[in-house]
Amino acid sequence: MNVTSDQGEMIRFLDEQTLEVNLPNKLGYERIAMDCTASFARIVGFVPERISDLKTAVAEACLNAMEHGNRGRSDARVIVSMNFDGQTFSVSVMDEGEGIVELPEDPDIEKKIERLEPPRGLGIFLIRRLMDHVEFNKLSDQGNMLRMVLKMSRSH
Amino acid sequence: MQQNEIRIEQRDSVTVLEIQGDITVFSEPFLNEAYTCASNQGAVKILLQFDGNAYINSGGIALLIQLLAKARTRDQEVAITGLSAHFKKIFHMVGITKFAKIYDTLQEALQKMS
Ligand SMILES: Nc1ncnc2c1ncn2[C@@H]1O[C@H](COP(=O)(O)OP(=O)(O)OP(=O)(O)O)[C@@H](O)[C@H]1O
Ligand SMILES: [Mg+2]
Repeated sequence: MNVTSDQGEMIRFLDEQTLEVNLPNKLGYERIAMDCTASFARIVGFVPERISDLKTAVAEACLNAMEHGNRGRSDARVIVSMNFDGQTFSVSVMDEGEGIVELPEDPDIEKKIERLEPPRGLGIFLIRRLMDHVEFNKLSDQGNMLRMVLKMSRSH
Repeated sequence: MQQNEIRIEQRDSVTVLEIQGDITVFSEPFLNEAYTCASNQGAVKILLQFDGNAYINSGGIALLIQLLAKARTRDQEVAITGLSAHFKKIFHMVGITKFAKIYDTLQEALQKMS
């Protein structure tokens, strides 16, 4: 079953193990990708703690795709594709931008509180800390892609 | 558009901001208004009570960091309660806990803060 929007199918199975969510470039709509990923991960047996990690990582990747990759353009799309192969759960988030120019350093909370660095710059740090493996700036048919992986072995 | 309802309640020396809803970039006007209101009432100890089901993202955490930065310049003590286990972990990772204590329950927070 596919859920459709005026842009065509918004959620569809590409095959039995691969689900794709096609989102409008609208802050807040990352929740749809979060919930789909969470449902899929729950079905294949991940524990709630890891599903929460996954939701935050997916949210941050989608927000970056909307804000930085697609630069807030309302006609752009964010495509989130997820796959489980029995061992690893991988999520790819694609946008229409050029990728990350320079990977940020880890945030320094002391500096942020002293206002010596901006309060932002947390998303990539969180994605890296929460996921087992992350790849940036991959090329895909749809443009720039971030791919992240959660492994089943680590106590699900 | 996402909204937050924030109730301000004085519990002895502690000003409790009971925050309903998700904490994202859209929370900015609501959070700022509540904080300003509490500060204008002379709040010295501020407890942020979140909704345990809230979705909090980097945009929301940035707002909290800004609030903590302001509170520090005014010598206000800020603490947090009502977080899910997941967001407790996230707040630890980011280092928020260095500047705001996290309590498991409202009762514990009120007891330890006063
Ligand atoms: N999909 C993307 N395309 C292009 N640049 C990106 C993308 N994702 C991240 N970036 C760049 O990497 C920087 C760091 O991203 P990160 O998510 O860590 O912080 P942020 O988005 O600036 O702030 P926050 O996530 O805390 O709201 C961004 O400011 C942006 O310059
Ligand atoms: Mg970000």
